[in-house]
Amino acid sequence: MGIIELNGLEVQLGGRTVLDGLTGELQGRAIGLLGPNGAGKSTLINTLLGFHLPTRGTVRVFGLDAHRDRAEIRGRVGYMPENDSFIGNMSGVRFVRYMAELAGLPSGMALERAHEALFYVGLGEVRYRKVNTYSLGMKQLIKLAQALAHGPRLLILDEPTNGLDPMARQRMIQLIGEIRKEGSVRLLISSHLLRDIDEVCDEVLILKGGRIAALCNIEAERRSNRSFIELETIGATERFSTSVRALGCECASFPGGRIKLVLPEHIEARDLYVIAAEQGVQIRRLNQRRDSLEDIFLRAMGNTPTGQPMPQSEIERPVHVRL
Amino acid sequence: MSVYRLNYRAYTGKVTPLWMRILVVARYGFNEAWSSRITIGLFILSLLPPIVFLVIIYVANNPMARSIIGSYDPEKMKIGASFFLIALQTQSWLAMVLASWVAPRLMGFDLADNALPILLSHPISRFGYVLGKFIALFGSLSLVTWVPILILFVDQSYSSPVPWAAANFQLAMGMMAGALIWIAFLSVLCLAVSSWVRWRVLATGAIFAAVFVPSGVGAIVSAVLRTKWGFLLNVPYMMSLLWQRLLGAPEFLGRWGSLPTPAILIMLAAACLVSVGMLNKRVRAREVVRG
Repeated sequence: MGIIELNGLEVQLGGRTVLDGLTGELQGRAIGLLGPNGAGKSTLINTLLGFHLPTRGTVRVFGLDAHRDRAEIRGRVGYMPENDSFIGNMSGVRFVRYMAELAGLPSGMALERAHEALFYVGLGEVRYRKVNTYSLGMKQLIKLAQALAHGPRLLILDEPTNGLDPMARQRMIQLIGEIRKEGSVRLLISSHLLRDIDEVCDEVLILKGGRIAALCNIEAERRSNRSFIELETIGATERFSTSVRALGCECASFPGGRIKLVLPEHIEARDLYVIAAEQGVQIRRLNQRRDSLEDIFLRAMGNTPTGQPMPQSEIERPVHVRL
Repeated sequence: MSVYRLNYRAYTGKVTPLWMRILVVARYGFNEAWSSRITIGLFILSLLPPIVFLVIIYVANNPMARSIIGSYDPEKMKIGASFFLIALQTQSWLAMVLASWVAPRLMGFDLADNALPILLSHPISRFGYVLGKFIALFGSLSLVTWVPILILFVDQSYSSPVPWAAANFQLAMGMMAGALIWIAFLSVLCLAVSSWVRWRVLATGAIFAAVFVPSGVGAIVSAVLRTKWGFLLNVPYMMSLLWQRLLGAPEFLGRWGSLPTPAILIMLAAACLVSVGMLNKRVRAREVVRG
């Protein structure tokens, strides 16, 4: 069973359909939520938290109905919103303790875990300062601390690296990576930054215009593209290509000694070096192409990396996308 | 998590029941309200009249003290419905001053920094959140209304001959009911106004305006249309009538005469409903823009 199950989910807000018939099952340890502005990412998160009532269909979190069982779900979820959201007049530790108590921790335990959470995210030294004196990066971290303090089973992070400088962003990504590695908490991360999702997530849900554009396992996607190789050679390129084809590779030659080929399963890259050595061909560059998240995202959006609309054949390429 | 290990650790301990979260909001709200020196100052100010009333009760029940101040006639310092009506009115209007300071603190800090999305993403409903704030404000106002007034009643019961308490028990019930109606109305109204006016100083002014501006409008309506029903917008007048009736004190009739008690109660209930509607509109984790 996936942690989040979408079954024909439709949400209308202000008379406009924001989520339109989402169906799928999210089961990764860290799920990335991608999409352009207005795609419905935040609405989906709000629906998961029970803030919006689905117009049609259902959404289940841990097998519980997101609207009917919202209190129980919220007890198991830690939520870090995108925008500033805190009580600036409180000290950091008091704020995190308050949130932990609201999540159901007894007062003493909430205080203990508030201190721990603040040390964990790196705010231990400033935990007695009022939150409205924190820098932007600290405010992001305290939102993470309050989301973690009660030990949730699912952590929903909405744009966690928003407005952070490179160092702070790296620290945030590292923290998220550590939490993921610990294994007891699942992550749902919404971000505009593909690199953030690429570094942390193993599954990605891409929304476009309120619909699912792609739902795929990033690792599986990468594995499926590992056999695609680009070579730059010097020497008898044509003869080399013929030999490679004889091994069972699909191969295409281009001017300047460039060769693109797809290796069959039983052939490895080192076999190419053996053939090249036998034929006196120099392999100057070997690029084992791996589908980046950007490729997956652009394919889902129907665009090429250069911004051109993607050919229909490329869009329809089977990329292990489960819709 | 653990400080010495600095790594993440899930929580597996016991969890408090859902209704306790309302008390958590109330407790933090109460603490927030009373962390201000101005709140403490207003509270001390609100306790000064009860001290004066205690002295009056002491003098009224002590012939020697009366002789010292030269008042030998016990009827001149009679402790009864009129005395407690003055006490109730004094404390009730001081409670309004306190509420106009405390309510904006209860709501303002949460709204100013957009804390509602985080607060409401926890297992507490919007109703539970507002109820928690209501309890904090209601509790604070109780400390300056029915609590000191009942202390006065107990003091008078103790100081006077035994039959006094039994004969005037309805007075205590009336004071309690009058104070509870007033602080419940005031709490809902003040929270509603505070939820719409983010700047706390402005919110304090808006609370006074919400009580006294309709009174002026009501007076104009009554004068122009020559009717008593305009006074249904006059909260101070309505509350005075209600308190007089609850305590059985002689009724002060204005120029246009009295208002029926059911009409007063319906009007107060309607004002509370409008306030609840305002809170319902404002206390949300997310705003939906129509169009």
